Amino acid sequence: MKTAVRTVAGTALLCAWPALSSAVEGDRAVFAAKGDQDAYLIIHAATDIEAMRPLVLDFQTMFPGTTVEYVDTVTNELFREATEACAGKLPSSDLLLSSSVDQLVRLANDGCAHAHVSTETEAVPEWANWRNEVFGFTFEPVVFVYDRRSVPADEVPRSHEELSDLVRRLPDKYGGRIGTYDIEASGIGYLLAFNDSLQAPTSFGRLLESLSRTGIVIRCCNNEILGELTAGRLHIAYNVLGSYAYAASRTNPDLGIVLPFDYTLVLSRGAMIPESAPNPKAAAAFLDYLLSQRGQQVALEQSFFFAENAPLPEGVDGPKALMDSGIGRPIRISPALLAAQDAIQRRTFIDDWKDLLDGF
Amino acid sequence: MAPKRSIFFRLVLHVGIVLAFGAATLMTAAYFYARTAADEAYDRLLLGAAFQMSDGLVVLDGEFRFTLPPSAFELLGLARNDRIFYRVVSSDGATLTGYDNLEPANDLSSSRQAPVFGNLVYLDVPIRTVTVARAVSVAKGADWAYIVVGQTTDAREELAAELTVRAMFLVATMSVLALGGTVLAVRYALRPIDQLGLALRRRDPLDLTPLEVAAPRELSPFVTSINYFINRLDERMKLLQRYVADSAHQIRTPLTALTAQVSLINEANLTPEDRRHLDRVRNRTAELSSVTNQLLSHAMIIHRFDSTQLVPTSLNDAARKAFRAAIPITLDPDMVVSFEPADDDPVLLGDMLSLREAIVNVIDNALRHGALARLEVRVMNFGETGRVEVIDDGPGIPEADWEKVTRRFYSSDSKSGGVNGLGFAIAAEVATVLGGQLGFRIQTENQPFCVFIDVPLIKERS
Repeated sequence: MKTAVRTVAGTALLCAWPALSSAVEGDRAVFAAKGDQDAYLIIHAATDIEAMRPLVLDFQTMFPGTTVEYVDTVTNELFREATEACAGKLPSSDLLLSSSVDQLVRLANDGCAHAHVSTETEAVPEWANWRNEVFGFTFEPVVFVYDRRSVPADEVPRSHEELSDLVRRLPDKYGGRIGTYDIEASGIGYLLAFNDSLQAPTSFGRLLESLSRTGIVIRCCNNEILGELTAGRLHIAYNVLGSYAYAASRTNPDLGIVLPFDYTLVLSRGAMIPESAPNPKAAAAFLDYLLSQRGQQVALEQSFFFAENAPLPEGVDGPKALMDSGIGRPIRISPALLAAQDAIQRRTFIDDWKDLLDGF
Repeated sequence: MAPKRSIFFRLVLHVGIVLAFGAATLMTAAYFYARTAADEAYDRLLLGAAFQMSDGLVVLDGEFRFTLPPSAFELLGLARNDRIFYRVVSSDGATLTGYDNLEPANDLSSSRQAPVFGNLVYLDVPIRTVTVARAVSVAKGADWAYIVVGQTTDAREELAAELTVRAMFLVATMSVLALGGTVLAVRYALRPIDQLGLALRRRDPLDLTPLEVAAPRELSPFVTSINYFINRLDERMKLLQRYVADSAHQIRTPLTALTAQVSLINEANLTPEDRRHLDRVRNRTAELSSVTNQLLSHAMIIHRFDSTQLVPTSLNDAARKAFRAAIPITLDPDMVVSFEPADDDPVLLGDMLSLREAIVNVIDNALRHGALARLEVRVMNFGETGRVEVIDDGPGIPEADWEKVTRRFYSSDSKSGGVNGLGFAIAAEVATVLGGQLGFRIQTENQPFCVFIDVPLIKERS
């Protein structure tokens, strides 16, 4: 539930909600139509409302008659509600936006998605489109974030191995000063950890083992981790979505960002129109906008800061050609993600993870 | 009898129907073949994924544990747009993981010998399933666990459709080529019939010799029948000619007697009225004898051409003989007649008697119906052809009647009461047989009416 918490005003009411609590109500904002209202679009999202605001406002200059109701929630909650809506137990939203794309793939696999084809969807790369039902509309590297005040330049880890080594070499300094997601509470945290274990089982195991020895801080979501970093309680955060990290580093220049050089997971945030959407036409219009060049440009400049064919933002330490060098490993939106969504798989993975890190 | 549709049409239609049936059969076969091929291809993926999943099933501390290998989903993900359903079932029927309402059509235990494939409608979409069984060792002994993997059929149908469309394109192309080939072949095969028809159409109506056309074996009974028919017609015509000749000959004797008797009548004792009747009787008798003579000469000519060998003949001689024979001694002394032979005697391959008869008839006709005060007979040599012209100063024959006068028993001058039926017909027939023609030349201010006979000459002997 990475993006889980946040008020419209943007003050950091850090996510204090245990993920398992089911009745978490996300933030809700209504962007009233600029002209006469002719469409009402309900978006359920596990995406920071501040990140989406410029996109929604720009969309409304193109479709002034559309009122957008935006509900920000956490990934697991969004998945639970969408599953119930698909079964007819809850009213459905018009569009789902979630960083936990495996959950969207699972929904589509269960027949809960409405297919949409347009010139915009045809331009989506093949790895970010499944069945014309689930589309990836962002390009977000998964990064390390460190605090320049406590991590000198020669200690900055540039790969997963270096992170392990650093923790082993300086256990006193970094013990209990590394933070990451609570993968049980956060859908995206689980997805990233699961993909780490697939991409590099050895170095992932080594990293977990190193961290288990020295202690690790787990938090439910991005902003809480970034808040801990800012507060000086953490030195390094591991597996943070680049877009949020970069947004935080703009207000706090002490935060440094590294794209690991051994491999960098790349997440494409998913969008899906539910099968039972009351207004699929408006949803399709917004989806087309998100995928359009104009929408992508706004996202690059104001919301997510990274794009597949744009250079890295200034001040971000990472490989020049992320995708061409093979360092960037996109999390493909494909049925293979169903493996992550298997109940036993998930349980086993989380149990093993917790067993390893137990005691901290 | 309503005309039947053409052989060409019927052949092409029947071949077309056979081809259409063949194409339909092939296309149906292609469809089923494509379905089978697509099913086999994707069943292997499905089975491979099921085997990989079964590897993830282990017993730990007497309990089933399952690790879902993501590679199994990668494998199934090769059918990129297909949805995937799976279920892992322990021996007691409990679902370990997956879609717990996924029930394959087959009994789970039937998969113990070998994996079982099946089709199913799940979540309102058709899916293909495979069930594999795996024996595991538990505390109480061996036990079975089952893995059911299902996949929607989009990719199969796409592949099957693609294969089918390609096969259909090939079959359609071949059918069109075959039909085109049939059209050409039938055209070619039927060409001798057209040629036979053309030969019959172009045939001179008087030509009753057997057909000589190179016809394929299949047509030879037909040609033989035509020739048999022509032969019978020919015989019948000859019989008729002979009958006419015999009749004319039989009539001549009593006619001569009749003429003699009429001349013996003493005109002095007759009233003027009776004398007029007698004159008429005399004229009619003369006409009758003329027609009888013409009939005889016609029959004779036809008979001669059937039996006589053609020999080189002088056109000058023939015309001169005809001139002498045709001008009666009793000719009106005021009539100026002349004969003008060609300087260079034209020689043709012909029969003197027939040629003479032909020219006599033309001159005779001119004397009876044309000439008032002048009659000329001229022979000319044009090298390739020779011509005999008969020129008179009479009113001529209107151009519209030229074709009719060459028919038998047609007289342009019906008012004269003369029945002059055969003159031009005989001349025209002789000219035609000799390879030439009877022609007319219209009269103008400077040029009197002319009837001529053109005949081809023998190539000059050098």
